[in-house]
Amino acid sequence: MLADGQPMNAILVHIALLAYTAGAAAFLTWLLRPRALWARLGRIFLLVGVLVHFAAFAATMGIAELGVGADSWKGGQLFSLLAAVIVLGYLILDWRYDMPVAGAFVGPFTVAVMVPAHLVSSTDRAVSPQLDHSVALFVHVGSAAIGTAALALAFGLSLLYLASEKQVKAKRPGRLFARLPSLDLIDRAGYRLAVWGFVFLSLAIATGSLVSRQAAGSTMPFAPKQGFAILAWALLAALIQARLVAGWRGRRVAMLVVAGFALIVCTYVGLLSGTSVPGVTA
Amino acid sequence: MTLVCVGLSHREAPIAVREQIAVPAARVKERLDELRALPGVREAMLLSTCNRLEIFAVADGRGAGEDLLAKLGPQAAPHARCHFDEDALRHLFRVTASLDSMVVGEAQILGQVKEAAAQAQEGGALGPTLGRAVERALSAAKRVRTETEIARGAVSISSVAVKLAHKLLGDLTGRSVLLLGTGEMGQLAARELRSSGAHELLVANRSFAAAEELARTVGGMPVALTELPKLLERADVVLCSTAAPSFVVTRDAMSKALKQRRYRPIFLVDLTLPRNVEPSANELENVYVYDLDDLESVAARNGEARETHVGKAEAIVEEELKALLLQVQERASLPVLARLRAQAEAVARAEAERTLSGLPGLSEAEQKRVRAMATAIVNKLLHQPTAKLRSEGAGPLADAAASLFGLESPTGPAPQPDPVPDPQPDPEPIPKPDTVVQFARKA
Repeated sequence: MLADGQPMNAILVHIALLAYTAGAAAFLTWLLRPRALWARLGRIFLLVGVLVHFAAFAATMGIAELGVGADSWKGGQLFSLLAAVIVLGYLILDWRYDMPVAGAFVGPFTVAVMVPAHLVSSTDRAVSPQLDHSVALFVHVGSAAIGTAALALAFGLSLLYLASEKQVKAKRPGRLFARLPSLDLIDRAGYRLAVWGFVFLSLAIATGSLVSRQAAGSTMPFAPKQGFAILAWALLAALIQARLVAGWRGRRVAMLVVAGFALIVCTYVGLLSGTSVPGVTA
Repeated sequence: MTLVCVGLSHREAPIAVREQIAVPAARVKERLDELRALPGVREAMLLSTCNRLEIFAVADGRGAGEDLLAKLGPQAAPHARCHFDEDALRHLFRVTASLDSMVVGEAQILGQVKEAAAQAQEGGALGPTLGRAVERALSAAKRVRTETEIARGAVSISSVAVKLAHKLLGDLTGRSVLLLGTGEMGQLAARELRSSGAHELLVANRSFAAAEELARTVGGMPVALTELPKLLERADVVLCSTAAPSFVVTRDAMSKALKQRRYRPIFLVDLTLPRNVEPSANELENVYVYDLDDLESVAARNGEARETHVGKAEAIVEEELKALLLQVQERASLPVLARLRAQAEAVARAEAERTLSGLPGLSEAEQKRVRAMATAIVNKLLHQPTAKLRSEGAGPLADAAASLFGLESPTGPAPQPDPVPDPQPDPEPIPKPDTVVQFARKA
């Protein structure tokens, strides 16, 4: 996994954090004064931030050793990676659906995650020697990060949907509603992200069992992390089934996505609590 | 005499009350006859719209207000309010200028006031007093529309419905719109939705022939109203604009359709009174019901920018109101002025003739000059008092003038001219006395 940061990497991460902060400020300004200029600035800052952020990751790992070199990791690095993937996911979402309002939530959220992830020291965790140069571990971490980012964005959209729909039902559409795209679009985008989240979560669970076998010889050891991941996967599978077969949509789908993401958060709590797979422990 | 306004509007009563007391167009004449039959009521006009039910009347005294209030019905009584004289006139002006509308600046009210006046005229209930007040109110409303930007960007209810449809459903391409009934607002919204890219426009009406006719004009497809359950499964936006006295789309019907349409969201727009869509259908998942009050409150919230122009519009209304009241006041002083002038001219004429009888050698031209001199003296002497009496109107000065010059009418108080004067100023010489009512002005 990722090695501890050298000075150059730290500088790059700080630049990324500054860009994220500027992006968040631009999007929040857009929320108050919805001029296209603010949304454009927000996008540019987030794009610069995410590029610099990934450059920092590449420098940390060493391009030649990408994904296979580290022998220890920190919780802060994990959240930093998640933040970068979420920002990248948001930029793709915004490019596809034009949703600056989501940027007003993703921007501050990224800053809120990045500040403790990089400015607060966290415990160094050892990677099992059996996993040295493990492709399965690289795919597991990558797919888990992408899946989590997709579900985090789906979760954010679901919250926006629920808040906005509540206003519409109450016949009092407010400022938030005016800034949002249509309810139908939020519903469709949230569902698509949930599907992507489900796909990558499936991959993460499958590769996770391989990692577990390599590290401890057991495909599915019993631990809270695995339990919550399986529950989240089952919930998302049920959601997709209900949408495809019975046509579920709107409020009840949004609530299921919120519940699914809550289970994913529990998975991360399990990971960081030290009762994780035997190969990746504190 | 007193100008009375009795009624309620969206400010005082919710839609549930307004739909119970609304007067259908077909019953307006009958209600006007009832109003005119009330003791002391001389003129009446009934303004019944989706937002208000108001009676404007000219009566012998304020007591008529209670009788008029009773005519609104028991449901209206707790919400209704009365205006008299200047307040009633100001209210008429503000309503007509769309300053009392929920969507300030909307244009529909102007036509509705005109229509109410025309109905009162046809029913013989609109006399000169109310007629001139309405005429002046319409003129003020037109000034407001042309001299302020209050109407710029003013959103009609139908356009609010279309915007909400976009906010709920996004791109309307491929969506189906169902128009129920032939109401004007429904037609407007249907046209807007169609031009926004709606895939199909289905038109249903109790009379299939009317549906066919309407479908031709709005570019839709006529369908039978008996197919409503199937149509609710198909449509994404339903515009309800029928004259049906009960719910056309019930919660139960919508609930059944919802499963068949696999919970696709549906937007039900209720554009009429009494309402066509059962309000509790809004509680169903992915079903959004908006009635007139809901749409208007959304529009009002969006119309904050127009508030800056309201001040200017209010100033125009006040200016027009003051001008009308001044004219009324001037006319109120006319009986005294007319008698004063008639008396002075009679004296001048008599004195001129007496003088001429003692001068037999004068030619026709010279006699004419003597008579002209007498008239000129009267005009010059009366110029200042005339101007003063005109500006003061009926009141202590007019009474003092009448007393000073011995002008009391032998048959009691002076006959009164019409209370609301002609828009044109009175030409000299002073016109003959006419019926006058002066609206009580606020202190």
